[in-house]
Amino acid sequence: MLRRKRILVLLVPALVLYLALFLFPAVQSLWVSLHEWTGFTAKMKWVGLANYRELLHDELFWMSLLTTLKVLFIGGVLIFFFAFLFTFFLQAGVRGRKFFRAVIFYPNVVAPIALATFWGFLYNPRFGLINGLLRSLGLESLTQTWTGPDLIFGSVLVSLVWTYVGFFLVIFSSGADKIPEDYYDAAKIAGANRLQMFFHVTIPLTWDVLMVAVVLWIITAIKLFEFLFAFSGGIAAPKPLWTNAVYMFVLSFGKRVAIFRLGYGTTVAVTMLVLIIAFTGAARFAMRRERVEF
Amino acid sequence: MPALMYSKKDRFKTAIIYIFLILWTAFSAFSLAWIITTSFKTNKELYAGVWSLPKGLNIANYVKAWNVVNLKRYFLNSVGVTFVSIVVLIFLCTPAAYVVGRFKFRGSRFLNNLFIAGMGIPYQLLLIPLYRLIIGFRLNDSLFGLGLIYVTLSIPFNVFLLSGFIRSLPSELEDAAMIDGCSEITTFWRIMFPLSQPGIVTSAILNFIFLWNEYMLALVFLTNDKRRTISLGLYSIQAAMQYTADWTGLFAAVVIVMLPTVLIYVVLSERIMAGITLGAVKG
Repeated sequence: MLRRKRILVLLVPALVLYLALFLFPAVQSLWVSLHEWTGFTAKMKWVGLANYRELLHDELFWMSLLTTLKVLFIGGVLIFFFAFLFTFFLQAGVRGRKFFRAVIFYPNVVAPIALATFWGFLYNPRFGLINGLLRSLGLESLTQTWTGPDLIFGSVLVSLVWTYVGFFLVIFSSGADKIPEDYYDAAKIAGANRLQMFFHVTIPLTWDVLMVAVVLWIITAIKLFEFLFAFSGGIAAPKPLWTNAVYMFVLSFGKRVAIFRLGYGTTVAVTMLVLIIAFTGAARFAMRRERVEF
Repeated sequence: MPALMYSKKDRFKTAIIYIFLILWTAFSAFSLAWIITTSFKTNKELYAGVWSLPKGLNIANYVKAWNVVNLKRYFLNSVGVTFVSIVVLIFLCTPAAYVVGRFKFRGSRFLNNLFIAGMGIPYQLLLIPLYRLIIGFRLNDSLFGLGLIYVTLSIPFNVFLLSGFIRSLPSELEDAAMIDGCSEITTFWRIMFPLSQPGIVTSAILNFIFLWNEYMLALVFLTNDKRRTISLGLYSIQAAMQYTADWTGLFAAVVIVMLPTVLIYVVLSERIMAGITLGAVKG
């Protein structure tokens, strides 16, 4: 056993770096959130729970929290719906399933800033692709200010759904691929149609995968930043796109209008962690059940 | 699932499935095709028709993006920072993953959970304390500092992915080496590290995609425009659009940013998708 302890040497470099520059700052943020700090002076000013009290009365915070929840729930429902639908399609024996899957996944390897640039142009009200197409079809009346305050959230949500459906499709379908063919044969003999097979064989047997996918989406949705921030020109990101992640960044580093409220920004970041813990905990609890072995 | 059966009703359903799949896929393919064709247009051509094809292969946008807007420099910065980070991550995380994945000792479960916890912590939470630390070390506005941050923040995912892979390796060779009198550490470097190669390659590819595309951390920790990474460079070009209105130039820059990850994806799509699911799907 003593001999075995030497193996821990292999662990030390990664662990030290992880503790020092990841977990230590993460824990320290709880401390920083009790301070006011502009970043220009070395010393932070202790304000106790004042930042948390301010959160309660901060309309921008509540607005951004609501937007975060909209991304999480509306986005989540749409993404999981389409990911299921495509998993079902691809399991139904279509030809070229690898090709379809690969193309649907592709936005996930592209820089969010590049995707945001493309979608920004697509939605551009003056010379964008959608309005351009509508005009050339003589449907001038259907053109919209897609990036206006009323529509921008929906527009961006569509592009997020387009991006992440591929990600969850890949996760679901690789889980579904592991189910032995016999189960489907048995279901077929019992007279099940394809949809019934999907709901009574595929979903129960990939329940663990589904649970991991839900947890992954919760984490992804709450920390989502780059696409939202880059959409329609960065710092000037319009308010309907401010999630907690964007608001935190604007408070802390929003460069065009310098705010530099680093202490308060950290307080908002703490709420993001609370959201992640609460929602992943709730999802795990709601989806718990005995594991099906096969 | 069994192949489609061709009754009349089924044929109708099958048609709907294909139409839906083809529409979605066509849009995805179109997005890529449109970006590439637009990057070869002049702005005049673009304003004349956003849906039209370019008249010829006009590479002026690329020349301008590469030289004048200085994407060349950003590209090289990114190549340097991602390449060094990936190599460091391999030598840092594979040994750690071996210990976490292969050995049971007091606290080994806790340790495993400690690494996994990092995947649930949003970067925003540590951004400001980390900013203070990095400024304290005078590593802000340096590619070395950014690389250090990239490496650190990638540790949880890499340890998770690699330990999952290492757990799946057979232990006969390892046992044989130890019986032959190799120390655990020699056994690791001589036997397990080479055996882990497929997992290492997968994690390296995924690290490349994540780090190449990353711009939030670069935006916080870099100020000098000479040190910008490629994604941050594109971000700054995009942010300056309201002054330049050079859309086709912007899309040439978009192509330059997308090209490396898309090319890797074209060649290794199955491996990348398998890597993404490694954690989610057991066994």
